[in-house]
Amino acid sequence: MNAIEVEKLKKSFGDFQAVQNASFNADSGEILSLLGPNGAGKSTTISMLSGLLAPTNGDASIMGHSVTKEPKAAKKSLGVVPQDIALYPDLSARENLIFWGKMYGLRGAALKTRVDEVLDIIGLADRQKDYIGKFSGGMKRRVNIGAALLHKPAVIIMDEPTVGIDPQSRRHILDNVKELNRQGMTVLYTTHYMEEAAELSDHIAIMDKGKIIAYGTHDELIKMVGEQTRIDITLNTEGENILPFWSKVEGVSKIDSLDGKVTALVDDSNRVLPRLFDAASKANVRITSVDIQEPNLETVFLHLTGRALRD
Amino acid sequence: MKILDIAFKDLTRSFRSAFAIGMMVIAPLMLTGLIYFAFGGASSGTSSMPAVKVGVVDLDVLPANSPLAAPLGQNIRSMFFDDSVKSWITASDYSDEKSARIALDNQQIGVAVIIPQNFSEDFLNGKKDVQVLVISDPTLSIGPAVVQNMVTMMVDGVSGGGIALQTFMERQQANGIAIDQTQIPTWIAHYTAWYADFQRNLFHHPDQAAFVMVAPSAGESETANPIQKIMGLTMAGQMIFFAFFTGAYSMMSILREDEEGTLARLFTTPTDRISILTGKFIAVFLTVILQGSVLMVAGHYAFGINWGEPVGVGLALTGQVVAATGLGVLLIAFVKNSRQGGPVLGGGLTALGMLGGLFTANIPNAMPAAFNMIANFTPQGWVLKAWRMVMDGQSAGDLLVPFAVMVGMGIVMFIIGATAFRKRFA
Repeated sequence: MNAIEVEKLKKSFGDFQAVQNASFNADSGEILSLLGPNGAGKSTTISMLSGLLAPTNGDASIMGHSVTKEPKAAKKSLGVVPQDIALYPDLSARENLIFWGKMYGLRGAALKTRVDEVLDIIGLADRQKDYIGKFSGGMKRRVNIGAALLHKPAVIIMDEPTVGIDPQSRRHILDNVKELNRQGMTVLYTTHYMEEAAELSDHIAIMDKGKIIAYGTHDELIKMVGEQTRIDITLNTEGENILPFWSKVEGVSKIDSLDGKVTALVDDSNRVLPRLFDAASKANVRITSVDIQEPNLETVFLHLTGRALRD
Repeated sequence: MKILDIAFKDLTRSFRSAFAIGMMVIAPLMLTGLIYFAFGGASSGTSSMPAVKVGVVDLDVLPANSPLAAPLGQNIRSMFFDDSVKSWITASDYSDEKSARIALDNQQIGVAVIIPQNFSEDFLNGKKDVQVLVISDPTLSIGPAVVQNMVTMMVDGVSGGGIALQTFMERQQANGIAIDQTQIPTWIAHYTAWYADFQRNLFHHPDQAAFVMVAPSAGESETANPIQKIMGLTMAGQMIFFAFFTGAYSMMSILREDEEGTLARLFTTPTDRISILTGKFIAVFLTVILQGSVLMVAGHYAFGINWGEPVGVGLALTGQVVAATGLGVLLIAFVKNSRQGGPVLGGGLTALGMLGGLFTANIPNAMPAAFNMIANFTPQGWVLKAWRMVMDGQSAGDLLVPFAVMVGMGIVMFIIGATAFRKRFA
């Protein structure tokens, strides 16, 4: 059974089409990552799945319940971890969890027991009486996740839960996601960090400009790139200056520049690299470093869109 | 059940906010306390007001061929030097207006009373704009108001005496009785003595003078302490102002939740949006009830305020709560974010409070008549009216009209605001 089914989902804001006929499924018990740069339409998609936005067209279902026709039933099966911290800073961690548990219909001893369990899962049992406002960013993120776990949802949606936190908290969250999945939860995980998508996901849907441009397992997506190699080149100047020259070099299939670094997809790095050096010399640009990498999700994104994925 | 959970959560947050507690309870008590101590901390019948320093400039002279034995200005002057007011008025003579103004500027006196040179002559000639000038230190309020009231009453009394004499003479003539012109000064002296005695009895204590500033009404207890009555209206004004503030401030929690992202998160839970809104409305309602109750109890024990009969108090408090909640919902429904909320609460509610007469509750004629009319269009004006009636001892039946208006206004504002909120978060 598909835990999540998305069928030709569309959302327009005036003339702007934030999501265009997005379709994908997630099997029960799997982790599906929605990968894409900022502004790709990931958050809009999950806003529609979680009932915050009404789709302009199309539909989606959570555990067989349509989010448009049976929103309450769909929400009962769903836990949502918003991108920004959505907790009450003047309530303690425990008070926050109790409140959110009640919003999912938990009461009495069951609520108390579950709050204790969740505090253990997020590793904050010893800080449960402290106000959220006094927590570090990473601790807040953990409570933010915990609040979505209280009712043991079949499906959990996590919207970029590791943005802006320290490596230790990030590791803790990723381990939590794996553990929740091991317990049988279906996870829809949105991120623009390809490493996270690669580490966590059973399937990955790559999104760009409101569209799902690729869907598959990590290996299936990598195969889309074929035998091509990715080369990251750092220059002593802005990459845009050299791009017009390098894009014409034989063997370069895709090339883009971001943050002072040029990323290129090439057929055979041994043959293409000397040509790139030659073109750089002619353009009076100095190459300061070259990194030849095996294809990864960023390579796939570059292959599909002609643009680098990083942010 | 979720509705109550949301309401309880909002109440918990409100009562953990030092700012909210300050504005809900501490500020109205402190402001009332300041006025209370301005009255010398009076809460019993033995209380006294601080002495009022009055400078009198009596320029009035007796015109030629006057039937009066002494200039009328002397009556006004002597009122301030009378033994009966010595405990609370310290009067001193000044030779001219300039020296009195200098003394006023130097804060040697708090009020200057200037009786013009031709006061008696103008009065005897029947001029209608005979004036006594009262100048006061703008930092003072109660003392100058009392002095002004005394002067007004004395001038009114003198006018009344003139009318009485005129009427007496006309009746004598109509009955064919010849008027003995030589008796006129005696009649005037009799009237003046009677009126001075009347005034003396009236003003033997400042409480009585202050008391006449509050509009008397039927059913008023003769034993009521007027200072407590003033404190009652002052406290009522503060309580009403801050109740409306609390209503709007509590409702702002929905804007803060919108900005904190918790409102969106609430919408992702299997909780109806109408339940979320209702929970928040209930929190506002309960907060305003709790605030009113705390202030009333505190006002009673701290300032000795007698709020009135329980049924009337219940009606006034309920009306206040409904009106404050309704206005809070209405105002915040049209505010975009919590940053906009500050000026709306500060400016809008202060303006409405002023128009409703909350800051001049003890001085009925402090505002032009038009403002008294405008007060009828503000919920604050009606709530004040209700509290005034309760504290004046009027029956619950008398309160039905203001109660109906308060509740009606509150419900209409609530419906408009709630509809706007529903559309906004649909």
